[in-house]
Amino acid sequence: MNIYVTGAATTKFGELWGVSPRTLARQAAFGALKDASVEAERVEALFVGNMLSGMLGGQEHLGAFFAEELGLSIPAFKIEGACASGGLAVHNAAFSVLSGQYETVLVLGIEKMTDHKPEDVATALMGAGSEEERSAGATFPGLYALLARVYMKEYGTTQEQLAAVAVKNHYHASLNPNAQFCNPITVEQVMKSSKIADPLKLLDCSPISDGAAAIVISKKKKGNSVQIMASAVATDTLGLAQRKSMTELKATQEAAKKAYEQAKISPRDVHLAEVHDCFTIAEILAMEDLGFYKKGSAAGAVGKKNHLVINPSGGLKGCGHPVGATGVKQIAELVEQLRGNAGARQVKGAKIGLAQNVGGSGATAVVHILCKVR
Amino acid sequence: MQSPVKIWRNQKKIQSLIGITGKIISWTIVRVPPGGFGDQAPYPVAVIALKNGEKITAQVVDFDEKHLIFGQEVVTVVRRVTQPNTEGIIPYGIKVKPL
Amino acid sequence: MIGIVSYSTYIPHGRIRIADIARAWKKDPAEVQAGLGVIEKSVPAADEDAVTIALESAKSALSAVEGLSPESIEVLFVGSESHPYAVNPTSTIVGELLGIGNNYLAADLEFACKAGTAGMIAIAGLIAAGQAKYGMAVGSDTAQSKPHDVLEYTSAAAGAAYILGRERIIARLLADTSYSSDTPDFWRRDGIRYPSHAGRFTGEPAYFAHVMGAAKRLFDITKTEPSDFDYCVFHMPNGKFPRQVAVRLGFTKEQLAPSLIVDDIGNPYSASSMTGLAAVLDIAKPGEKIFMVSYGSGAGSDGFIFETTGSLKKQQTVRQQIEKKTYIDYVQYLKQTHKI
Repeated sequence: MNIYVTGAATTKFGELWGVSPRTLARQAAFGALKDASVEAERVEALFVGNMLSGMLGGQEHLGAFFAEELGLSIPAFKIEGACASGGLAVHNAAFSVLSGQYETVLVLGIEKMTDHKPEDVATALMGAGSEEERSAGATFPGLYALLARVYMKEYGTTQEQLAAVAVKNHYHASLNPNAQFCNPITVEQVMKSSKIADPLKLLDCSPISDGAAAIVISKKKKGNSVQIMASAVATDTLGLAQRKSMTELKATQEAAKKAYEQAKISPRDVHLAEVHDCFTIAEILAMEDLGFYKKGSAAGAVGKKNHLVINPSGGLKGCGHPVGATGVKQIAELVEQLRGNAGARQVKGAKIGLAQNVGGSGATAVVHILCKVR
Repeated sequence: MQSPVKIWRNQKKIQSLIGITGKIISWTIVRVPPGGFGDQAPYPVAVIALKNGEKITAQVVDFDEKHLIFGQEVVTVVRRVTQPNTEGIIPYGIKVKPL
Repeated sequence: MIGIVSYSTYIPHGRIRIADIARAWKKDPAEVQAGLGVIEKSVPAADEDAVTIALESAKSALSAVEGLSPESIEVLFVGSESHPYAVNPTSTIVGELLGIGNNYLAADLEFACKAGTAGMIAIAGLIAAGQAKYGMAVGSDTAQSKPHDVLEYTSAAAGAAYILGRERIIARLLADTSYSSDTPDFWRRDGIRYPSHAGRFTGEPAYFAHVMGAAKRLFDITKTEPSDFDYCVFHMPNGKFPRQVAVRLGFTKEQLAPSLIVDDIGNPYSASSMTGLAAVLDIAKPGEKIFMVSYGSGAGSDGFIFETTGSLKKQQTVRQQIEKKTYIDYVQYLKQTHKI
């Protein structure tokens, strides 16, 4: 595909009490435009990825909201797909350029979660699940815990092996100045952290965060542009109980298959992947669903020396997970890595990168593949 | 408050799911509950494969530790779902209890 | 002839020992147990209420008889003093979830602990008048009591459902009567959470006057005496009153014994005498006569004479549910009854 990410920017992720959504948007959007050396007037459409602005903040109509904030009188859209909102915004933006509708567009992923009590956030996040799951009193950790329990029984994976995912991602995050967490942690600390939804504990779970990320997608490439080789989406049942399998996310598998076909590559060709580790088990599932590891073997590969680096940014666990921002931040991270600008966390020889963004407990999956422009 | 109209529309669905047996295919214990479930936490939530071919997600009630195992036989019952607020309609829904 | 076609009960599995409640309030457990004649009582789960308990009993009562579809029920009365709504009938929530359809008369009844039996008499009347072929009367309660009040030792939870009709009768209704007066022994104002009572006034002028009043009337109109019966059942607000009234009316310990569910689960209010009757029906043989008088504060008593038929099958309903129990402590009891 001849479409390029010509600019990218991410704000700090974390509990940003004093920073408003408008400020986050300006930081990310103008940062990306500056990085792309593109004037605001050249942007033809704005795609906003966000999940909770309505349920928590009472504000919908984010296309118009942020278009005004950024001083852009252009077609603007809010795209929502739970935690895949950012990835879906990227997908829609990419195809709007590929179709010839627009030449240059801006994607903004943004979420402000810490203005509200954790219980209210947990309840709002369950909007990503099914009515039946909400009536059962399930929470997001609960849904992934249901997956974890079956996976662990099937493949003999231990809680310590899941913990290793969190440890690795915290380590990566400690090298990322924008990450929410800068402290490395140990497996022991994960195992001792308080139980949230058995068998998942506090440190198995990504945090509640504020943050934004933005990218510019254009038909025209520039010096340090990164090419989008593939952008694919797949959906599965909304509720976990209705899935065919409890040890894999079919949506990820389908989106990945389409993406590899679009890019004409195989999983072996990928050097780095930003995957959706909303919970430690999710990264394990992603490693297998994306075709990087055989079913049941991913846990054993975590933290081992590998040609494939997963979540160099720190992932959702280490970097933070402002829901709508994550999918866009994953692309921004790949861009920095493929340009060779990732500093302490640079993946050596990175030429091809993959981003996987999941909505809910696996009802939506978005996979992007990017490469250095040859 | 849950919409009374929505509660009314869901009656047939609840009625059709009462008294069906099934098996636990996974479970977790929710210790940090969402809004409206504070008085029930901690509680187990399970995925159950029902005899009628459907699979559902539901809370497990009237259980002992020993019932939280793969394959445990359960039956669907009607219970209060969320803590109703002082003025709203009380939502009743499907939970499961071990046989 | 009209009678009972099917019956069932539902007793929540939570139990609390009266001794544990007494200890929480620094009272002598032995003294409390001896004074009230109770040992332990049933406690509903936090997500149970009079609706869910009525539904469980009703569903079981329907399943206990073969070939009776929910749609055959043309009347459904639910009696309780813990209906979840002051306005919005328990009976239609139960009716809807039972799958009765729309062609039935539903109403909620309240008369303290005799709301369920009042329903039985009314339904028998509707059937006798040809207004219905089958009807169901349910008594269901998650009885409330103020912590530290004497009622805390006995207020329990259970449900009992009776399907009445003209065909496939397992116990004929030979006679019924009712004795009513305005006697303010125990009451609860609208919007107030816990009931109040008038102490010892609840004894002689209330319970005993009305139970004996209805019982004597029943003997008169049927020209019977205690020795004509195999079993007797009385409302059981505690372990002492039913035993005392049985003696005073001339019944023996043996006639009364099978009905004394109060010894195992306390007083489930509207389900008390109806569950006692179920315990008797579980073990009765065909051709046996049962004398039953309920009591509801405010006050009144409903009296019944049943005779079991050859269609009565031995069941284990009540004993099984009594034995399926899990003990909880006082803090857990307070949580489950929504006091904390």
